[in-house]
Amino acid sequence: MTDSTQIKKIDKSDMRKVYWRQLFGIQVGWNYEKMMGLGYCYSMIPVIKKLYNTKEKISEALKLHLQFFNTNPTMAPFILGADIALEEKMGLENKDAVNSMKIGLMGPFAGIGDTIFVAIYRAIVFSISAYLALEGNIFGAIFPIITAVAMWWVKYKFLWIGYHQGQKIASGFSNSLQRLNEAATILGLIVIGALIPSVITVGVPYVYKRGEVTMELQGMLDKIMPSMVPVAVVLLSYWLLGRKNMTSTKLIFILLFLGIILGALNILG
Amino acid sequence: MQILLISLYAFISDVDGLTFQMGLSNAIFAGAFTGIVVGDIKLGLAIGATLQLMGLGVATYGGASVPNYKAAAMLGTAFAAITGQSIEFAIGIAVPVGILLTHMGTLVRFVNVFFQHKAEKYADEANLTGVSRSNALCCLTWGFGAAIPVFLGLYFGSEVVGFVTDKIPVWLLTGLKVSGKILPAMGIAILMRYLPLKKFYPFMILGFAIAAFLNVSLVGVAIIGFAIAAIWLMIKNQGLQVQSQDEGGDIDD
Repeated sequence: MTDSTQIKKIDKSDMRKVYWRQLFGIQVGWNYEKMMGLGYCYSMIPVIKKLYNTKEKISEALKLHLQFFNTNPTMAPFILGADIALEEKMGLENKDAVNSMKIGLMGPFAGIGDTIFVAIYRAIVFSISAYLALEGNIFGAIFPIITAVAMWWVKYKFLWIGYHQGQKIASGFSNSLQRLNEAATILGLIVIGALIPSVITVGVPYVYKRGEVTMELQGMLDKIMPSMVPVAVVLLSYWLLGRKNMTSTKLIFILLFLGIILGALNILG
Repeated sequence: MQILLISLYAFISDVDGLTFQMGLSNAIFAGAFTGIVVGDIKLGLAIGATLQLMGLGVATYGGASVPNYKAAAMLGTAFAAITGQSIEFAIGIAVPVGILLTHMGTLVRFVNVFFQHKAEKYADEANLTGVSRSNALCCLTWGFGAAIPVFLGLYFGSEVVGFVTDKIPVWLLTGLKVSGKILPAMGIAILMRYLPLKKFYPFMILGFAIAAFLNVSLVGVAIIGFAIAAIWLMIKNQGLQVQSQDEGGDIDD
């Protein structure tokens, strides 16, 4: 009976506080023991302050949110939002519901978030910026800042979507994310396909000479297909990465070594 | 002075990368910033871009440790400016440095366990500010974890690099140039492994063909790609709507 009078509504300013806290702190406390646990708890503190007023309750809530947590940082606001809605309704009476929601969502959200907001995001944004930077265009260094600020907006939206829809929408939401993921993959692959001829400029400087006859190998290759050597290097790397015991660090040394040898022999240049 | 400025950037950008993510923490910006400090921004942009391309497919998924391309961009740009060597040479030097620094991130994540424990203690006492402070203090571990290696690398590295460049044979220099040119292929290859290439490979061929045969700039290809992705999304959404209408009809019957 007394519980209902104790429940205080979370308002917009609390949500904003959580938003700024998660933006600053969800990842910074990342550690090998509880991963994002510290950052998650940090982000929830405005809510804890609002909802719980006894020392025991506060301590209980802090401990609940310091538990192991890890997901994609862009998706994290969604889970925070859903958590806030749950605790606003039920307080700490149903800790299991909070826990199972967090654990249930963090895995799938990590997978989909890391694909869309890390892998594909980076592929598109940094392909374009690197291309511009290679041309000496300072905008190459500024472009990632613009897209990063756009991501702030996405995170803010996710916090509210999570709060309003809670667990209900999770499955429907991940369906529409799945479609978005595929569309983003298409864009990502088109961009990295174009990246090969745009940024890898290696060719064959070797000129065949016998008596009067000179043949420029590069010219002949270009007639068949432009950027033949870059494509070959990418495919070689792709193939090597698929082999057992191959790591990207090993591949760096293989390419470094290959470049030195073929460059010194004037086969590539 | 320059060393301090670059180290300060290393500190701030690493914290930014873990907090607000304003886009300061990447090899391109690192190269550009170092370039401005040493007086050659184009050099920094080019070195940063090449290293960023190498790391295109590599990210810290779930806290994995990856080569530190950002520190590599800073050190590479500084060394190239000091020695007057080519961009490709700088990359050849910077890449092993980046690999060497892979484990700084691992170290920081271990140190942060200490703050997690502190926070748990504060939680027992219901000390909200204590928990907040524990999390915020992790900024320091990240910042110093990034700034100290860069500072040491710049402070002691320049002489070593200067010495090495005096002795380095010409064939090795030409070779390193080629290495610098082919290393971006790795970033692309890693992405090809990560993305569902088997299902969507025609789109990659399409992107390649537009750029290689029609000489469209990458920005142009990205816009075409965006349109294609949007069209694909429309078709897909329409398909789903038709499907759900059909299902709805069945239930009504």
